[in-house]
Amino acid sequence: MTPPPALLAQPDAVVLDLPVTSGEAAIRALHAKLAALPAVTDAELLLRDLMERAAMSSVCISPEVALPHARTAAVSRLVLAVGRAAPAVPFDAGHPAVRLVILIGTPKKQVTEYLQLVAGTVRLLKNEKVRAALLAAPTEAEFRAVLARGLAG
Amino acid sequence: MKTASAAAPEFLRRLVRLLRWRLWIAEKLHPTEWQTTLLWAGLAGFLGALVSLLFSGLAEGIHEFLTGSSAGVVESMRQLPWWACIAVPATGGLLAGLVLQFGKKLTRSQSSTDYMEAIVIGTGHLPVRASLVKSTAALFSIGSGGSIGREGPMVQLAAMVASYLGRLQQFTPPQLRLLVACGAAAGIASAYNAPIAGSFFVAEIILGTIAMESLGPLAVSAVVAALTVRALTNAAQLYHVPAFRLNSPWEMGPYIVLGLTTGVVAPWFLRSLRAAERAFVATRLPLVVRLVIGGALVGVLAIRVPEVCGNGYSVVVDILNGNLSNLVFGLGLPSHHLAWVALALVFVCKWIATAASFGSGAPGGVFTPSLFMGASVGYLFGTAVNAVWPAGAPDPGAFALVGMGAFLSAASRAPVMAVIMLFEMTLSYDIVLPLLLCSVLAYYTAKGIEEQSLYSESLQRKSAEQPAAALPARRVAELMKADPPVLPVAARFAEIAERFLAVRVNNLYVVDEAGRFLGVVSLHDIKPYLGEPEVAELVLARDILHEDFPRLSPDQSLSEALGGFLGIAAERLPVVEPGGRLIGSLAKGDLLLTLVEKRKTPVPGGTAA
Repeated sequence: MTPPPALLAQPDAVVLDLPVTSGEAAIRALHAKLAALPAVTDAELLLRDLMERAAMSSVCISPEVALPHARTAAVSRLVLAVGRAAPAVPFDAGHPAVRLVILIGTPKKQVTEYLQLVAGTVRLLKNEKVRAALLAAPTEAEFRAVLARGLAG
Repeated sequence: MKTASAAAPEFLRRLVRLLRWRLWIAEKLHPTEWQTTLLWAGLAGFLGALVSLLFSGLAEGIHEFLTGSSAGVVESMRQLPWWACIAVPATGGLLAGLVLQFGKKLTRSQSSTDYMEAIVIGTGHLPVRASLVKSTAALFSIGSGGSIGREGPMVQLAAMVASYLGRLQQFTPPQLRLLVACGAAAGIASAYNAPIAGSFFVAEIILGTIAMESLGPLAVSAVVAALTVRALTNAAQLYHVPAFRLNSPWEMGPYIVLGLTTGVVAPWFLRSLRAAERAFVATRLPLVVRLVIGGALVGVLAIRVPEVCGNGYSVVVDILNGNLSNLVFGLGLPSHHLAWVALALVFVCKWIATAASFGSGAPGGVFTPSLFMGASVGYLFGTAVNAVWPAGAPDPGAFALVGMGAFLSAASRAPVMAVIMLFEMTLSYDIVLPLLLCSVLAYYTAKGIEEQSLYSESLQRKSAEQPAAALPARRVAELMKADPPVLPVAARFAEIAERFLAVRVNNLYVVDEAGRFLGVVSLHDIKPYLGEPEVAELVLARDILHEDFPRLSPDQSLSEALGGFLGIAAERLPVVEPGGRLIGSLAKGDLLLTLVEKRKTPVPGGTAA
């Protein structure tokens, strides 16, 4: 099995220009990209769990990065979608200009893996150079390459 | 969507730092609940030793005050005029009676002070005020020369301190009972400087089991107590004895007869104590008057035979060392050849004096007086054999030593403890073969004569009076601890860290608004991320919830509950009602202790220390 942080280098979906104007819309757009995956056994439940979690407490880890996530019975493995918003979208009152959105769905039993993935994502996106490279990547391939390089280096 | 709460980062950093320290200590020491129990047992041992020493010092002070002499009990009584010999123990009885009488007002609503009762049929709760009243009364009985042991109240006090300590820590009944047992072991270890025997006394007589779950803490407590006493006083082995040897296998013949003899005498000794108690109660006199009469009776005997006073320790030392000239000289006998006559006289008088003290209700123990009875029977028997067959009993002192162990075994119905105690008190291994044989023979002989020992009868009576209390828990609901620490499902990392710091658990239970159990948050899950504040700020309890954590039902049997602990490294499991509401938690330690308690015999034989 791929170590959870390494999953970040191979997201199930990447959307470089999220056509949204709010955090909720960003979650819905990324969820829509994951809904067709065989690992998503109940797309509706996944969305509900993601929204419920986001409503409970902020999912932003920095002014321009949000990490909507949910531990849910709707997925059979960790699923991951990454989106880039241009222009920035408001996620909540404390985070009015989010540029990067990383959406995670985790099977209920995988607490350790979930924490590893979240921690790996947080570590990677703390790096200003990586963030800047992700925001500047012209293509999906380059975007994925930045993620892979960031995790490797 | 909600905004992240503006938690002060500094506060979170401090919490995380504290939690990391806690984890570092936990990882280095790995303290399980059992190891924590050992720490409390050690503290109970230390405090037990201190109160034992305090009691001993106070008893000596009172004796000095009443007799005006700092010599031993027997010597100071020997120096008193005849009227003072009567007045001192009678005054002690009066003071003890008054303390008990007035103490009743202070302790009216308090439960029994007996530590054996608290362990065997109680919850481990020993009331402080009532115990102090009883111990103060015992100080006067013992300090005035009553024929009773000071060791009983010392053990009682040590057990009371342990009980108080456990209640402060909100121990569950099984834990509290074990801690009180540790206190008792500490008291015995302090009194006799015998940590192994102290552990086995409680294990064999009171708990009725030598399972490691209970013997381990008992041993730790007893060792700490013995070390404390040795550090604070010049304590060495209690009885210094010459080297005894088994010269010929033929000597085992007389030893066998000695075992049978002590096995007959011990039950009669205990019966006589009960009879004296009944006789005093039958007088319908107030307790104060009974105690004065009991003290006066001892005093009358002490005019000619001061050896009846106290617990008999100094006389036993003389007997074991064959140094009976004091007895002969004190009784005014013309020849040293009549030493056995002197000892026989002291033996009879001591028996009567102990019955008078015990029967009148003087608080104290009969453990050390039992040692005196055994030493006397052994020495007299050895002397008789020596007179007709010198090779069969070349040294009556050896018979005295073996007699002590055999008598103790027959009286306490704890042969293993008796052998170990004799060995520890004398550090004489050479005589262990006849000692072991005699103790076992005395035990079986006494058991054939009298099924009950003095204490077991009292315990069985009290068990019958409160049958529910005597039964160990059978269902999870009876053993669980209510109101476990919980977290709301939306608890943020700071709150989770705070709870883990406040309570020593590895799993926190998460409940919803209705109190329904949702799962647990594990300390080990969050441990690797304590240095990452961004993760800490992002995570909620629901994000790291283990929903498949095993849970128990309140109606489950204890054996079924034990199955719940299989395959999981948890010290506690949540107890959840059929509707899903969390109502408590069950500790694995409590469960194992209770299962051990259930295995023991209902009420073991024993005598009050």
